[in-house]
Amino acid sequence: MPIYEIVFYFFSLVMLGAALMVITVRNPVYAALSLVLAFFSASAIWLLLEVEFLAIILILVYVGAVMVLFLFVVMMLDINLEPLKEGFMRYLPAGVVVALLMATEFMLVLWTKGRFDTQAFPVPAPNPDGYSNTKAVGELLYTNYLLAFEVAGVVLLVAIIAAVALTLRQRSGSRRQNPAMQVRVRREERVRLVQMDSEPRQGS
Amino acid sequence: MLAEYFPILIFLAISIAMGVILLSMGGILGPRSPDSEKTSPYECGFEAFEDTRSKFDVRYYLVAILFIIFDLEIAFFIPWALVLDKLGVFGLIAMIIFVVELVIGFFFVWKKGALEWE
Repeated sequence: MPIYEIVFYFFSLVMLGAALMVITVRNPVYAALSLVLAFFSASAIWLLLEVEFLAIILILVYVGAVMVLFLFVVMMLDINLEPLKEGFMRYLPAGVVVALLMATEFMLVLWTKGRFDTQAFPVPAPNPDGYSNTKAVGELLYTNYLLAFEVAGVVLLVAIIAAVALTLRQRSGSRRQNPAMQVRVRREERVRLVQMDSEPRQGS
Repeated sequence: MLAEYFPILIFLAISIAMGVILLSMGGILGPRSPDSEKTSPYECGFEAFEDTRSKFDVRYYLVAILFIIFDLEIAFFIPWALVLDKLGVFGLIAMIIFVVELVIGFFFVWKKGALEWE
């Protein structure tokens, strides 16, 4: 099935190129858009592997929500990029060490398992008709991987609390309405009736 | 099964080709005679006052981040809803625990006043 290979290599090349663009392009808006393209290509490759649910979630969540937030931040915020580039040479040794360590770890995992040998991992047989990837995910996720699922809920909870803790500022001096207080107001709080005797006309 | 996605592949190929053809035809066939006035930034007849980027209230990001988190939560519901009749009470309880975890977060956000707009 040559079309399968053509599509796979096309999307792989696009993804690698887009990933390279993300870290080389100078304009951060183009970098964010390249990341969108990389996510999209990854989604297409997942679709080739017949994991439809994850492929569509990748597009919905990452391309649809996360990258929009990234673009929003990059386009709206006044980030001055020059100070960020200043310490490049100073941080280069630490960066190189971390990069080499990560590359070595990847290689160790791949080599010891023989993952570079495509013969050891043939293309999986195509799924039968009526097979639903979403149902397969559901049957595993809520039974075998229940703990991971609940931990994911806790991680999301931590993310909510962290987002609130990082960004919530009580702004002083802003005048906000409190409709409940407005409705509950009584006449006595607004109008003061004063009883007083009439006074004689002055100056006569 | 992949054959069912073939129309989408054709659609993708045609849209990429359309984009490339339209842009390149505009670039090749269109007349181009730039001068300094044409390429200078234009804002209703006067020079631009300031940079497009400006200080933004961080509250907008808070709303966006909270949206993404609850968006992810919804993503977990889809496979669950499909297989709920097979999972039975066990699956129901699993999801209730998950939802309770996030409802705690929701009430935290609510009580902290993060959803209030001043």
